[in-house]
Amino acid sequence: MTALWTVFAMILRDQRSALLRGAALSLVVLVMGVALLGLSGWFITAAAAAGLAGMGAVFDVFRPSAMVRFLALGRAAARYGERVLTHDATLRALESLRLRVLAAHLAAPHAAMIRIRGAQALNRLTADIDALDGVPLRLVLPLIAGALAQVLALAALWLLVAPGVALWVVGGYVLGAAVIFGRIAAVSVPLSRRAETAAQAFRSRLIDLIRARRDLAVYGRLQAQAGVAMEAEARRFVLRRRLDRAERWTGAALAALATVVAAGALGLGMTLVQAGRIEPGFAALGFFAALALAETLMPLRRAAADLGRMADAARRVARDLAPQAVPPAGEVPQGTALCITDVTLHRPGTTAPILSGLSLTVAAGETLAITGASGSGKSTLLLAVAGLHPVAAGQITLGGLAVRDWPEAPLRGVLTLLPQRSALMAGTVAETLRIAAEADDARLWQVLAAVQMDGVIRAKGGLSARIGPRGEGVSGGEARRLALARALLRRPKLLLLDEPTEGLDDATAALVLRGIRAELPEVAIVIAAHRQVETAAADRVLALR
Amino acid sequence: MAQTRPQPAAFLVAPDLLAPGRVLQRRAATLSVLAALLWPLQAAVVAWALGALLTGAEASPLLAALVFAGLGLLRAGLGLLAEASAQAAAEVVIADARARIVAAEARRAAEGRFGGAGAIAALAGEKLELLAPYLTRYAPASARVRVVPLVILALAFWHSWAVGVVLLVSGPLIPLFMALIGMAAKEASARQMAEIGTLNDFLVERLSALVDIRLLGAGGAVQAGFAAQAGDLRARTMAVLRVAFLSSTVLELFAAIGVAMVAVYVGFSLLGALGFGAWGGAVSPQAGIFLLLLAPEFYQPLRDLSAAWHDKAAATAVIEEIETWGADPGPQLRGSGGAAARLAGPASIALLGCQTPAGVALPDIRIAPGERVALVGASGAGKTSALRLMAGLELPAAGQVVVAGQGLTGDNADGWRARLGWMPQAPHFLSGSLRQNLTLGRVGDLQAALATAAVGEVVAAMPQGLATRLGETGGGLSGGEARRITLARAVYGAPDLILADEPTADLDAATARIVTEGLLAQAARGATLIVATHDRQLAARMDRVIELGGAP
Repeated sequence: MTALWTVFAMILRDQRSALLRGAALSLVVLVMGVALLGLSGWFITAAAAAGLAGMGAVFDVFRPSAMVRFLALGRAAARYGERVLTHDATLRALESLRLRVLAAHLAAPHAAMIRIRGAQALNRLTADIDALDGVPLRLVLPLIAGALAQVLALAALWLLVAPGVALWVVGGYVLGAAVIFGRIAAVSVPLSRRAETAAQAFRSRLIDLIRARRDLAVYGRLQAQAGVAMEAEARRFVLRRRLDRAERWTGAALAALATVVAAGALGLGMTLVQAGRIEPGFAALGFFAALALAETLMPLRRAAADLGRMADAARRVARDLAPQAVPPAGEVPQGTALCITDVTLHRPGTTAPILSGLSLTVAAGETLAITGASGSGKSTLLLAVAGLHPVAAGQITLGGLAVRDWPEAPLRGVLTLLPQRSALMAGTVAETLRIAAEADDARLWQVLAAVQMDGVIRAKGGLSARIGPRGEGVSGGEARRLALARALLRRPKLLLLDEPTEGLDDATAALVLRGIRAELPEVAIVIAAHRQVETAAADRVLALR
Repeated sequence: MAQTRPQPAAFLVAPDLLAPGRVLQRRAATLSVLAALLWPLQAAVVAWALGALLTGAEASPLLAALVFAGLGLLRAGLGLLAEASAQAAAEVVIADARARIVAAEARRAAEGRFGGAGAIAALAGEKLELLAPYLTRYAPASARVRVVPLVILALAFWHSWAVGVVLLVSGPLIPLFMALIGMAAKEASARQMAEIGTLNDFLVERLSALVDIRLLGAGGAVQAGFAAQAGDLRARTMAVLRVAFLSSTVLELFAAIGVAMVAVYVGFSLLGALGFGAWGGAVSPQAGIFLLLLAPEFYQPLRDLSAAWHDKAAATAVIEEIETWGADPGPQLRGSGGAAARLAGPASIALLGCQTPAGVALPDIRIAPGERVALVGASGAGKTSALRLMAGLELPAAGQVVVAGQGLTGDNADGWRARLGWMPQAPHFLSGSLRQNLTLGRVGDLQAALATAAVGEVVAAMPQGLATRLGETGGGLSGGEARRITLARAVYGAPDLILADEPTADLDAATARIVTEGLLAQAARGATLIVATHDRQLAARMDRVIELGGAP
C-alpha cells in the first residue's frame, strides 16, 4: 500500500496541474449531477403543489428551469473535459514511468542485466504499468471527488431539507461504503496478487514455449510445456472466478446500500412533511439527491476489484525505480592508457575469487591476447575493464582515472566491449549498425568490408536487407561479424573483444582480425582469445592461471 | 515420399470464438432486462408517496420506504445473478480461446508471420482479457436497449402522449449518432491494438539486448526511440478514448435535453399552464412525478451501451487479430513434440535430394548407425538446417528424410526424437532451475552428464548449485559454460544419436578437447554422432567429413 502511495505521488509530481484540474472537474460533475436531480424533483413537486393550490400563475418557473438546463448541459461538458483531461494526464504519467523503468534497467549492474528475463521484464514494464493507470483514474480521484461531494451534499441537505435527512443520507453512504470497500479490499488484494502471479507465469511459460519450441520438441517436452502453461492458466481461472464473485457481491451490496439510503430518505421526508416541518418539494429534493449520490459509489467497485493488482504492480515498479547509485561526475582525463594493477575479481554474485593479483598495461596500437581455460576469468576481466563488474581488490585505471570513477558517457566513448554474446535487433542492416553511431552508407560499407561482411550483405540485398527479431535470418558467424562491425563504428580508443571470431572458420577469422586492426590502427585491443587464430593476431599473449 | 504440407490446422480458431459462452450470455441478458424492468415499479411507489403528500391523502412513510427498498433489493439480487452469468460466460470464452492458442502454438514448427513470442503472449494474455468487458457490460446493455426503452415508451404514452412523443423523437436519434461515432471508434481502436503488440515486441527485444545497448552507449537513443513509440501509442489511445468520450457526451446531451423537455412539460402542465398532452386534460401530480422518474431510465440503457461501446470495438479488434493469427498456421511440427517410446530401428539417417526450407540444396547424406560425421561448410551453407531436417524440426522444401530405415513422418517423429540428443547453437533456457533445464523431465545420470560436459565445477560454483535459476540466455553463465550445459542436457538421456550444432564454439582449446572427448565417448558407447562445425580439430576426429557447399 505504501508502494501505491509512492507511485501515486510520482504520477502526481509528473502531472500535478492536469490531475488537479481533472479532480476538480470530477467533483463538478458529481455536484452538478446531484443538483440536477435534486432540483428537478423539487421543481416538479413544488410546481404540482402550486398548481393544486391554484398558485400556478405566480410560481417562478423560469429560474429553476434555466438552472435545470444549465446543470444538464454543464454536466455533460464537464464530464467530457474531466475524462479527456484525467486520461491524458494519466497516460502521460505512465509513459514517463515506463521510460524511467527502462532507464533504471539500463543502469542496472551487469549481473542483474543479464538475469533479466525478457519475458518477465516485459511483463513488468507493460502489464504492471498498465495496471497502474487505475491508481489516479479509478482509485484516488474518484475517492477524493466522491468524499468531497458527500461533504457538500451534507451541508446542502442540512440547510435545504433537514439535518436528519442529511445525516441519514450522507452518514449512510459514507459508513456503508467504508464497510463494503474495506471488506472487498481485504478479500481482493491477496486474491488478485495471486491471480496476477498466475497470469505472469502463464505468459512467461508461453514465451518459453515459443522461443524454445525446437529444443522442447526434440526432448519431447513441447506438450508438457503447453501443459505447465495451461496449469498456470487453470490457477488463474480459479482465482479469477473468486475475484469475479467478490466483485459482483460488492456491486450488489453497493446497489442495496443506495436503495436503502434512498428509501430512508423517502420515508424520513414523508414523515417530516406529514408533521408539517417541511414542504413536499424539499422532501422530493432529499429523495432525488439521495438517488443521485449513488453515483459517488460506483467507481468504488472497480477500484476495489483492481486494488490488489495495482498494489502488486506498484510494489514491483517502485522497487525497480529505487534510487540508483549517482553516476560519478568530474574531470575526464585526456589519456586512455589501460593500466591494471594487482587486481582481484570475484565470480558474479559470489565472493569466490575467479582471478587475483593480475597486473598489466596495454599501449595504444598494441594487441594483447588473454588466454586461459574456460572459467579462468577472461570475460570477467573484460567486463571489469568496461566498468560492468566490480573490482574486489587492486585497481583498473584508464588514463590514470579508475574505471568506476569515469562518467558513463565518456567511458563508452573511449572504450567498446564486444561481449561474448551480443544481441542484434530487428530492422534493416543499416539500422542494426547505426544503433552504435551516426554513420553514412560509405562508412557502413567500410566497416562491413573490414569484417568480411560486405559480400554477404550485398548478396542479401544491401544495407536495406532486413534482420528479423533476435537476429533471425543471419547465421551465427554473420551475426558475430555484424556485432564486430557495430563495435568498429564506435571508433573507440580501447577495444575489448571477447572471443571475437566465434563461429567463423579460420581463414575468415584471420581476415577479420586483420581488418579490425587496419580499420583502427592506433587503438589498444585486448582479446579474450580461445583460438589459435586469435592469439596469432596478437602482439603479446598473456595466459591466465 | 510426397512432401505434403499438413492441412491448414482447423483447430487454430473456433468458427465462433464466443460460442462457449452463448447460453450463459442469453441468461445474463434475460436477468439484466428483468432487473431493469423493476425500476418503473419503484418509480410508481415514489410517485404514489409524493403524490399523497401533495394531495394530503393518507400514506404510510414506513410502508413506502419498505416497498421501495424491497423492490430495490430484488433488483440488486437480479443484477447479481445476471452478472454471475455474464462473468461465467466471459471466463469460459477466455479460457477456451487461451487453450486454443497454447495448443496451436505447441504444434507449430516455427514462428508464424503473426509476430514473435511477445506479440503472441500479449494476444493470449492481456488482449484476450479485453473480451471480458464486452461480455459482461456490452452484451447485457445491448439486450436492455432492445426492451427497456420500449416498455418505458409504452408507459409514457399510457399517461401522456406529449411525453411519449418527446421520448419517441429523441430516442431514435441516439442510435444514429452512436453508429456514426462507433464506426470511427472501431477503426481507431484497431490501430491502437496493433500498436500495443509492436510496442511489446520492441520492448522485449531491447530488454534482451540491455548489455549491448549500454556498451554501445546507445541508452539515450534507445530510450528516445522507445519514448517516440510510447508517445505514439498514447496519441492513438487518446484518439480512441476521445471518440468514446464524445459518443457518451452526445448521448448525455440528448438524454439531458429529453429529460429537460419532459420536466418542463410536466412542470407547466402541473401549474395548469398547459391543457394538452395527457388523455384527461392535464397530467396528475402522481403521473408527473412518475414520468419524470422514468425519463432518465429511458435513455439509461442507451448510455450504458455507449459507455461499453469501446468494449465492443476492442473485442472486435481482438477477435479479428485472433483470426489473423489463426489464418497463418505456418509449417506444422512433425509429430506432437510430446514424450514417446523410442522408435525401433537402426540409428541411421539419410537426407535424399533435400532442399532446406530456405531453398538451399543439400547433397545426399547417408549416415550409418554408430558413425561419427562432421558437416562442414561456410556460414549459411545449410549446416544448421540439415540438423533440423534430421530431427524433423523443419520440413524439406524438396526431397526425403529417412530415419531408422523409414521415412520420417508425423507418426514416427516423436519416437525418433526420443532417441536424439540435441545441442542447438543458441540455447534458450527455460525459466526454472538449472536442474530442470538439464533433465527436462527425463530420467538419466546427471553426474555422468555433468562430467561429460566438464561443468561439474561450474555448477558447484553457482550461487545455489543445481537449484540456481537461469536467465533467458543462460544468465550468470559464460558463453562456453552455457554451451557445455546444453551438451550435458544433450547427453543426459543416453541418446542413440547426438546432433550438435557448433559444439566447441566458445570454448578454449582445453575445454574444447574435453567436450570433444565427451562427444566421442558417447560415440564409443555406440551413439551416432553428427556435428555441424567450423572446428577443424573436431572435424578431424570424426570418421567422415561432409562438405556442404555453395554460398547462400
